[in-house]
Amino acid sequence: MSKTKLMVVVVLAGIVVLSFASGATAAKNKIKGQDVFKEFCKPCHGADSEAGEYTPMSLIQDQWETFFDEKFEETHKGVTDPNHDNKPVIDVLTEEEFDALAKWTVDHAADSEQPMTCG
Amino acid sequence: MRRTLSLLAVIAIAAAVPADAEKQKYSHEDYFEHYEGTKTCLACHEDEAVSFFHSQHYQWTGETPAIINAEGKMLGKKNTINDFCTNPIPAWIGITKNSRGEILSQGCSKCHAGLGKMPSSELSREQLENIDCLICHASGYNRNLFESEDGGLEWKPILWQNQVGMDSVSKRITMPKRTSCLRCHAGSGGGPNFKRGDIEYELAETDRTFDVHMGTDGGDMACTDCHAGSKHRMRGRGVDLMGSDQVGEPLGCGNGACHTAEPHAKELINRHTARIDCTVCHIPTFARADATDMARDWSKPVYSEANDKHIPTFTMGKDVVPVIDWYNGTVWAQLPGVTVTTQADGAVGMVLPQGSRTDPKSRLFAFKVHKGRMPLLTKDRWLLPINVEEFFADGDIDGAVREAAHAVYGLEDIDYEWVDVERYMGIFHGVQPAATALRCLDCHGPDGRLDWTGLGYEADPLAAALAPSH
Repeated sequence: MSKTKLMVVVVLAGIVVLSFASGATAAKNKIKGQDVFKEFCKPCHGADSEAGEYTPMSLIQDQWETFFDEKFEETHKGVTDPNHDNKPVIDVLTEEEFDALAKWTVDHAADSEQPMTCG
Repeated sequence: MRRTLSLLAVIAIAAAVPADAEKQKYSHEDYFEHYEGTKTCLACHEDEAVSFFHSQHYQWTGETPAIINAEGKMLGKKNTINDFCTNPIPAWIGITKNSRGEILSQGCSKCHAGLGKMPSSELSREQLENIDCLICHASGYNRNLFESEDGGLEWKPILWQNQVGMDSVSKRITMPKRTSCLRCHAGSGGGPNFKRGDIEYELAETDRTFDVHMGTDGGDMACTDCHAGSKHRMRGRGVDLMGSDQVGEPLGCGNGACHTAEPHAKELINRHTARIDCTVCHIPTFARADATDMARDWSKPVYSEANDKHIPTFTMGKDVVPVIDWYNGTVWAQLPGVTVTTQADGAVGMVLPQGSRTDPKSRLFAFKVHKGRMPLLTKDRWLLPINVEEFFADGDIDGAVREAAHAVYGLEDIDYEWVDVERYMGIFHGVQPAATALRCLDCHGPDGRLDWTGLGYEADPLAAALAPSH
């Protein structure tokens, strides 16, 4: 095998390995909005809670979108998370978790095809 | 950072979507401010509410011109007994939970277009306000069971504590969409496609290879395009529905409204249409997406550990080949409180299509034949209902039969036995395009699907015509 051919094979093999690895990582890191809701929201917004019970079907899709786009940071800026060393909830939620949560609540809002409680 | 990203996303979407396409406009957006229950609709639509009150969708009974032994009675699922969940009276509304606290069922009223009260034949303000207009007409409307002011249960919008959300959803008024109808009609019988076999959730969003009429790349038709009647009365009753909602206006394909009686390019095929309904060739199989209940034996309860639920023994079928038989538009039905009539094989015919080869009004139609095993009152040989919700939780089929016999007939201390039953149900949905319709040899070949002798022929007429003469 010529040197050039060998290099091409090595590069192609590298691409294949990297693409499998990145796919596996993406699958491993796939965040479920429902899990985020249970971990971060339900402790304060469960049934009979002082902060008021919220599930995806408490609001319609428009309301959830407005909430996450415009109101979440303002309404939760002083809120600490008892399950995460009482750090501000805004800081403990990663961007991926936030996006997954927002998508899941919209997908299962009161006016969606599949309204859900958090299960 | 997050807010910046969100803002950028909004700007990007706004730039990509034309302003007039951002949000669908609904006719009722400016008609009222706050939705306050059905009375908000009644302010303008009292006449429509009265017409709906009298319809089969509300009464669950209707006129019976197609039932040859009905003797003029108003019949429907409310006052008859069927071989699926039997009768709604004993289990109209209620929350049945399993030992894990999970909800197993919420009563038959879940699929009644009312807010929980049993429909009455007497028109009243209370009955009009019991109509749930939004369940059929509001896009995005969903409801659940909640405690009512009198301590009972009622169906309420899940947004009943969110006035802004409720106001938004209640103004999204449209004619019923496929999803509105399928919510009940595809889920009847206890699960997806359990009862009908040809009315599947798949029809909500499908292509023309699944259903040429409703496929989004085909006719993209709504249910009401064919079933529309007037004054909330729906055209079409299938075969085994007791009541006819739109009397005198039967639903068919080849009456000229959409298709002519001779719709094919080939004359040879058109010669078939006088005696064969379109569905026979254009619905080669049913239950193509979800399996359907082909037999339900209530005498053999089984426990489903996965759902912590007691259920009858089901025999499910997928891609089922229909039974083909004669039908002249009328049926004989086994009615409650009437001694059962058994067929040659000993089974009670719950609904049997009438007609024969020699009856000029008869044509061949496609059927799902549902079999079952039902309780039978030993003394009078009446079919008995079952309180299925009670049975789901505790598995006590004997108690469920006795409870329902009391609720429906007022009977106590009954002796009963079990009897086989059989019901013919018309197959009309899942119509396939010509490319996948049946071919000549599917019926006329050596392995053809028709029971020629059972249909009144000596043999396959094509084979007879092609046989060498002597």
